[in-house]
Amino acid sequence: MLIALVAVMHVFVSHFAVGGGFFLVVTEGLARRQNDAALLAYCRRHSRFFALLTLVFGAISGVGIWFTIGLVSPEATSTLIHAFVWAWAIEWVFFFVEIAAAIIYYKTWDSLPARDHQIVGWIYFVAAWMSLFVINGILTFMLTPGRWIQTQSFWDGMFNPTFLPSLVARTAVSVILAGIFGYVTLPSREAHNHEVREKVARWAAFWMMAGAVVLPLSLWWYFARIPQFSQLYLNGVLIGVRHAVRGGVAFTLLALLIALVCGVWKPNWMRSPVVALLVVCGLGTIGAGEYLREFVRKPWVINQVVYANDIRAAQVEALQSKGVSHTANFLLTEDPASVAYGENLFQLQCGSCHGAGGYRGMQRRVDGWDAEFASDILQHIHILRGTMPPYAGNEEDRKALGGYLASLNPAWHFNITDGNRLEVGEMVFASRCGHCHTVNGNFRPLRGAFEKATPSQVQEVFPALDAMSSDMPKFNSPDDQAQALAFYISHEANKPVLQKQTPAEMPTGSTHSQLVRPPGPRQPAEPRKEVR
Amino acid sequence: MPAIPIPHVDPLPLPGPVWLFTALLLVVFTLHIVAMNSALGGGIWALWNYIRGHNSAHPYSRRLANELAAMLPTYLAFTVTLGVAALLFVQVLFGNFLYASSILIGALWLAVIPLVMVAYYGFYYFSSSAEKGKGISGCVLAVSVCVLLGIAFIFVNNMTLMLRPEHWLAMYRAHPNGWNLNLADRSLVPRYLHMVNGAIVLFSAILAHLGMRKMKTDTEYGRWIVQRSALVFATCTGVQFLLGFWLLLAIPREIAMVLLRDPLPGAVFGLALMSVISAMLLILIGSLAPEPTSLVHAGFAMSLLTLFLMVCLRYLLRLAYLKPYVNLGALAVRPQIGVIVIFLLLFVGGLATVGYMLWLVVRSGKSRVTAITSY
Repeated sequence: MLIALVAVMHVFVSHFAVGGGFFLVVTEGLARRQNDAALLAYCRRHSRFFALLTLVFGAISGVGIWFTIGLVSPEATSTLIHAFVWAWAIEWVFFFVEIAAAIIYYKTWDSLPARDHQIVGWIYFVAAWMSLFVINGILTFMLTPGRWIQTQSFWDGMFNPTFLPSLVARTAVSVILAGIFGYVTLPSREAHNHEVREKVARWAAFWMMAGAVVLPLSLWWYFARIPQFSQLYLNGVLIGVRHAVRGGVAFTLLALLIALVCGVWKPNWMRSPVVALLVVCGLGTIGAGEYLREFVRKPWVINQVVYANDIRAAQVEALQSKGVSHTANFLLTEDPASVAYGENLFQLQCGSCHGAGGYRGMQRRVDGWDAEFASDILQHIHILRGTMPPYAGNEEDRKALGGYLASLNPAWHFNITDGNRLEVGEMVFASRCGHCHTVNGNFRPLRGAFEKATPSQVQEVFPALDAMSSDMPKFNSPDDQAQALAFYISHEANKPVLQKQTPAEMPTGSTHSQLVRPPGPRQPAEPRKEVR
Repeated sequence: MPAIPIPHVDPLPLPGPVWLFTALLLVVFTLHIVAMNSALGGGIWALWNYIRGHNSAHPYSRRLANELAAMLPTYLAFTVTLGVAALLFVQVLFGNFLYASSILIGALWLAVIPLVMVAYYGFYYFSSSAEKGKGISGCVLAVSVCVLLGIAFIFVNNMTLMLRPEHWLAMYRAHPNGWNLNLADRSLVPRYLHMVNGAIVLFSAILAHLGMRKMKTDTEYGRWIVQRSALVFATCTGVQFLLGFWLLLAIPREIAMVLLRDPLPGAVFGLALMSVISAMLLILIGSLAPEPTSLVHAGFAMSLLTLFLMVCLRYLLRLAYLKPYVNLGALAVRPQIGVIVIFLLLFVGGLATVGYMLWLVVRSGKSRVTAITSY
């Protein structure tokens, strides 16, 4: 969450730092060629806003990412540093030139000759774009390391399969943001500013449109080149991803609509609240894009090298055989039987993405779990939704962590009657089955397996679940809850559905199997295959 | 579980020789400290002169405060820019130590980022309002300076803590959520004061040097700057000796003995002492003459040399602290020669580009340009 906040704000401003520099120097050139003093005055005012935002917030929040990733993912950071320290050193050279050029550009409107001032502006833009060029290589490497996995060659890592499409997409975003932020310093609505105000409004809209033409094409190119497991996340099954895709498209379209209406058609309508809405749209687009970029990389932070919980893929086997207590450096207690040890494991292995409560909080996710079920499901954690890495600990660790997870909520006790059986069944389904299955949805649907089955037939299957598939946990709910669950599944699987969902493929977090393919809707109902 | 938790070394080999990373670290860290001392020392100088300048009997103080105000944001910009490079190279060599100590003080370590922003915007506010003499300007500057002092304290905490793995586990168990400080370390306070006072010392030397240049256009004002900064430089250098002595007594005895016993640290320490004494004598003699002489420039150069030697000494003491846990010579190395060459070429090209832009500025020869290049 912390990384997300810092990263989204930084990406938002740093892309403006690239596009905005381009916008400034091109607009300055235009103003000088047309001898337009009002437009030049706009450039000057805009450069002050630009410097204050990018030099301070943009630059410092970039350092903030350094600080944050070092705290949250030191293993991954160390890997990136060792693989790409020279790329970062090169990027630093461009950053240094960029900062120097920005300060000189902003401070010398009165003193440098026009030509020299524009030269400084162009130096700024080239340095800023080259900075993006280099960082783009490192960022894309994290999802598509390509041949680097075999060769560990700098060049294979840097110029990886998504380097180019991502570079084009980021450049397009920079240009769009240049247009959006161009409105922030729009001349006031006084009569003498009328002409320049209209000119800037249309000019900024033109920049937004230009970026918007390129962006979808480059994104299509980008998503075509990401790994298959990443593409599967975009199939609409996962709610967060679905919202991010829809939100990103909506924010972008709304921004373009505003630019067309209030920028091109009626520039007089481009007032402060509208500009604020535009900036929010820009932030929303960036937020959605960054969320998706990070999400489709799960369960990795560096694909095939380091998991999202900062455990190296190469460490997992040793952790599973020896256990965390024999390998970890920092533990609050060395008593693996204690709940405190389980909590400590949770902080060490889950804390990068989850807290007990709050954002991605586990309390609501594990409501209804007992220690045995929690411990058992940890074995299959990478199956859940494909976003989780395999559990890296031995049986002792699983029991401790399972005990901690179960302790987050009071145990469930129901007084089940005919009136609430369906409701309780739904709750039990959500707790015990819903993390991996739906009944009628497209996420590993169970309808095919239980269609036409009575509640008692459904319940007969429960004790054998773990024997049917090694990916299934042992079913251990109390008998009354099992009955309610069977009733619910039977009820849902037998009710008429308007349209049958096509089951979606989902990735898993396992190092070995990247795909779990659920059966198609017309395949024979073999329980063992159906439930998976 | 090990009694002293040392995170493992990264399995990937170092992408360049240790000596190259060490050299780059020493150079960029020295430059970072020059910029940092300009921001912090310059901020303290600006605040003092701003307050003093309220009295009409001290017109030069007000003028100096206004001129410094224009440059404080730039000093801070380069403090950050150069600090990023130092952070990069220190992670290559000592990342496993730095990450562990940063996590232990994580809450405050993260606070550095918003704090720098506050100080930065405060400097910008002061630069735009100081000349108009708005009442709040001095307060904003004071807040910025205090924030920078706070950031320095957090940094000294982290830099001392990364050297003491034997304290980590107890700290983690006491406050696993990152709310730690390295207050139990006896060297923390003298080291912090040594850094802060050092910032005033170095910026005073820089100011004396700039005052000499100022004398070419305004003799009286330039002389006032030179003499005042020389006085502060000499006084604070005296204090620096006392703080340095305190620091020597505060660090573990076996580490302090390295300075006397081992030839390289001992030689660097001796040279640093000689160079700081030379700097003090040169600046004092040069500035006390009725017409300040170029000895002030030589004193300024010796101050920079002293700083570099102190940075080297700091590095050698770090190696002494970490000797039981790290052997840089044993690290696997697979140099990325092609990229290193490109970096070095771009580094030279980058410096040339910045030089070219400054040349454009100087060539334009306008009054505002003088402000940029002078302060």
